[in-house]
Amino acid sequence: MQDTDNSAAEAGGRAPGWLQLVLIGRRPKNTLLRILVLVALCAVTFQFILWPIQVDGISMEPTYHDRRICCVNRLAYWRQEPRRGDVVGIRFSDPGFFFKPNAMYMKRIIGLPGESVSFHAGHAYIDGQLLDEPYVKNPCDWEHAPILCGPDQYYVVGDNRSMPFENHKQGRAERIRIMGKVIL
Amino acid sequence: MKIAFRLVALAALAGLACWLWTVFFPGPEKVVLKKISALAATANISANDSTLARAAKAGSVVSEFANDAEIAFDGAGTGARTLSGRDEIREAALGGFANVSSLQVQFKDTTARVAADKQSAEVNCTARVSTGDSKDFGIQELRFQLKKIDGDWLITRVETVKTLQ
Repeated sequence: MQDTDNSAAEAGGRAPGWLQLVLIGRRPKNTLLRILVLVALCAVTFQFILWPIQVDGISMEPTYHDRRICCVNRLAYWRQEPRRGDVVGIRFSDPGFFFKPNAMYMKRIIGLPGESVSFHAGHAYIDGQLLDEPYVKNPCDWEHAPILCGPDQYYVVGDNRSMPFENHKQGRAERIRIMGKVIL
Repeated sequence: MKIAFRLVALAALAGLACWLWTVFFPGPEKVVLKKISALAATANISANDSTLARAAKAGSVVSEFANDAEIAFDGAGTGARTLSGRDEIREAALGGFANVSSLQVQFKDTTARVAADKQSAEVNCTARVSTGDSKDFGIQELRFQLKKIDGDWLITRVETVKTLQ
């Protein structure tokens, strides 16, 4: 009741119209403050925590289609190391800790540090053991000898294995290049 | 109140002086970064550029390199290739610029590290290159090495960096 009285007084004794109520609320100053806080929160979130990215290319088909928008969660590996099966963003040159790289690889981790990754008849093998990959839907005929990951390296590859092995960007990524986990 | 105002004005003046100093006397890091972004701008070729203009641009690009400069390229699908010396680089630039309808080169995420003696520097960047009207582009991480020769920063080596090994 108090609120209504105050806002009526602020509006020169007239009760605010429904449009004004919907757009700026009963107290414009409070609404403005809320908007400023929201903008600041969004700016901080999308600048430092969740990086919006657009997929360019078909190497992550069918999980992520070309031109799809998703986010890289920078805090995903704050307390834990990347895990097998995670889709991650991998930077090229270092833009600095707080800055979003202009371009990133988007790949799935299949090999962890110290493991060897090989491909036989289109299937991935980790240390000689067949890796179950339900996300790989397209037919694949890759053959490749084992590649050993170093103590600080993760083997990353796209989900679309229908293209020739040589044309598919994949390989060992250093931990320092993994910027975060792709979500959404 | 008057003192506070004077203090604020003094701080603003000091800030302005610092900014002007960096504009007129930029540090070696800034000079090197400017050099690299100028190189990218020079390497841009428009479809309207004449053969002569393209040759001039190739000449401008080459002038940023030292006489004994080296370009070691190992890109996907192209295999390893090394260009040694200005003559080879000029030849490659002339050929490359003549064979594309247009070329857009951008160096992003550029960072420079200047050696303690301030006579050499290393620049890392991500090159984004597109040719013709195609919306597709190539991305390649690059490492530049520069040396201060006769007061001017010149590129002594460019090499591709394998992001995924």
